[in-house]
Amino acid sequence: MEKGVVIDSRHTAEKEGQGLVARALTVDYGEGPVLGPLDLDLPERGIYTVLGPSGSGKSTLLRAAAGLLPDFGGSLSYGGRPIGSAGVAGADIRIGLVPQNYGLLPWQTAIANVRTALKIARPDESRARRGAAALRWLALTGLSGLEGRYPRALSGGQQQRVAIARAFAIRPDLLLLDEPFSALDAVTREDLQRLLLESWRQQPSTMLFVTHDVEEAILLGRKIVMLTAAAGPPVLIDNEAVFSLADEDKRDHDAFHEQTRHIRRIMRERR
Amino acid sequence: MEVKAEKKTGKTGVNGSPKNSPGSMLLRLLSVFIVLHVLWGLIAALLQRDMLPSPLVVYRALLELDGGEMLLNIGTSMGRVFAGIALALIVGLLSGLLMGRSPRWNKLLDPVVYLTYPIPKIALLPVAMLFLGLGEASKIVMIALILVFQVIISVRDGVKAIPANTYDVLTSLGAGRMAKFTQITLPGALSSILSTIRISLGTAFSVLFFTEIYGTEHGMGYFIMDAWLRLDYPGMYAGILLFSGVGFLLFVLVDLFEHRFMKWRA
Repeated sequence: MEKGVVIDSRHTAEKEGQGLVARALTVDYGEGPVLGPLDLDLPERGIYTVLGPSGSGKSTLLRAAAGLLPDFGGSLSYGGRPIGSAGVAGADIRIGLVPQNYGLLPWQTAIANVRTALKIARPDESRARRGAAALRWLALTGLSGLEGRYPRALSGGQQQRVAIARAFAIRPDLLLLDEPFSALDAVTREDLQRLLLESWRQQPSTMLFVTHDVEEAILLGRKIVMLTAAAGPPVLIDNEAVFSLADEDKRDHDAFHEQTRHIRRIMRERR
Repeated sequence: MEVKAEKKTGKTGVNGSPKNSPGSMLLRLLSVFIVLHVLWGLIAALLQRDMLPSPLVVYRALLELDGGEMLLNIGTSMGRVFAGIALALIVGLLSGLLMGRSPRWNKLLDPVVYLTYPIPKIALLPVAMLFLGLGEASKIVMIALILVFQVIISVRDGVKAIPANTYDVLTSLGAGRMAKFTQITLPGALSSILSTIRISLGTAFSVLFFTEIYGTEHGMGYFIMDAWLRLDYPGMYAGILLFSGVGFLLFVLVDLFEHRFMKWRA
C-alpha cells in the first residue's frame, strides 16, 4: 500500500475536472508574506483537509478562497472561473462558508439564517422552494423543531449545525470550513464530523476543511493538504485508505494510526 | 442521543425570572404612580397655596377640559415632535450608517460632528426664528437640530460595534450592498437606533415646549403656558399631566417596538 506520496500538485488537475486552482498565490498584509507563494490543484468533489501549525496561513488560504481578501498576489480560480476580491466571488461560484464562530446572524432565527443565505445564493429560485430546502437541511442536521429558535437559545453544537445546514442548503460549488469544530466538546465534535461526512456524501462538493487537529484531518479528508510555517510548497497526502473505511471503524483501524505517524513525521521534518 | 442533550441546554433562556413579568412591572409602575400622588397631595395640603393645587382639584380640571380642543393641542404637538424626530432620523441614520461603514466618510464627517456637537443648540432658537419665521418650520427644525447629533453618534457607534466577520458568510455568497445593509447593518444597529429614539423622545418634548411658547395658538406647550398666564393653575397642572401621559404612551410604544424587534437578544 502506498500512502503519503508527496505529489507535485501541478500535474494532477486534469483528471477529475478542474476544482480549486491556485497559482503563485501570495497574501501579504504589509508585514511580510502571510501565505505562499502557493501552488495548489484541488480537483472537484473532494474533501481536502488543510492542516498546518498556526502561522502557516491556512485560514488565510480559506479566506482568499471565500473571496474575502481584498488583495492577494497570484491567481485563484474555481472550475476555471477566477475568484476575485471581496464581493465578486458569488456571482458564478457558490461558496458555502462555515466559520469557527458559526457566523450566524443573531437577529435571525435558525431557519431565517438559512433562508437569508439561500435568497442571496439562489435568487432565481421560488420562495417556496428555498423554504423547503432550508427546512430539509435543518431536519437533516437534526434540528427539527428548533427552526424558530434564535442562535442565543441554541447550544454551540446546535449553532454549528445551523451553519452546516446553511452551507449545504445553498448547494455550493465550494464548501469552506474554518476550524468549525475547534470550540466544541469531544462528543459533539465527533457527532458533527459524522454529520458533515454524511451530508457531503448526499451532496458532494469541493470541500476545504481547515483544522489544526491531525486526527480530524485524517478522519475527514480524502486528501490532506499540509502547509508549513516556513514558506514552502504544500504537501499533498493521499488519505484514500482511511477515507474509504466506514466512519465508525476509522479510529481503530491500522491505516488511521499509520497515517497519523506519517503526518507527525512530516510535521517534525518540516518544522 | 446528543441532540436531546443539546435541546435541554438550549432551553435555559434568560427571561425565566418571574420578577420581570409584565404583570409585576405594571404593579411596580402603579405603586410609584400612587406614591408620587400621595407625596403631591401631602405637599399641597402642607403648602395650602394656589400655585400647587391638590391632585383632586387638578384631576377635576382635567376632566373639565374641552376634549376637542385638547385633541387639537395634542395632535399639533405630536405632529411637530414626529416631524422633528423623523427629520433627525433621516439625516442622522444616513450619516451615522455612512460613517459607521466607511472609514473615509467617518474621517470627513467626524470633525464636523465633533465641532458642532457641543454647541448649545437651543441657543440657536432665535437664529432659527430669524431664518425660518415663527411658524412650524422653525419649531420642527429646532427639534431635529438638537436630536440629529445624538442620532448620528449612536448610530455610527452601533454600526461600528458590529464585528467585521459578521459580514463574512454573506460576502462570500456574493451579497450586494443592499442585502448586507438590510440583513446585517440595519438589524445590527437597530438596538442603538431604538435607544437613541427613546432618548430623543424625551429631548424632543423638552424642546417642543420651548418652541410652543411663541408663534402658535395650539400645542401642549402653548396650552400650559397660556393657563399659567391666565393664572389657571389647576388647568396648567392638568396640561402638564396630559403632556406627561402622552409622553409616557410614546415611551411604551418604543418599548413595544423594541420588544418586537429585539426578541433575539431578550
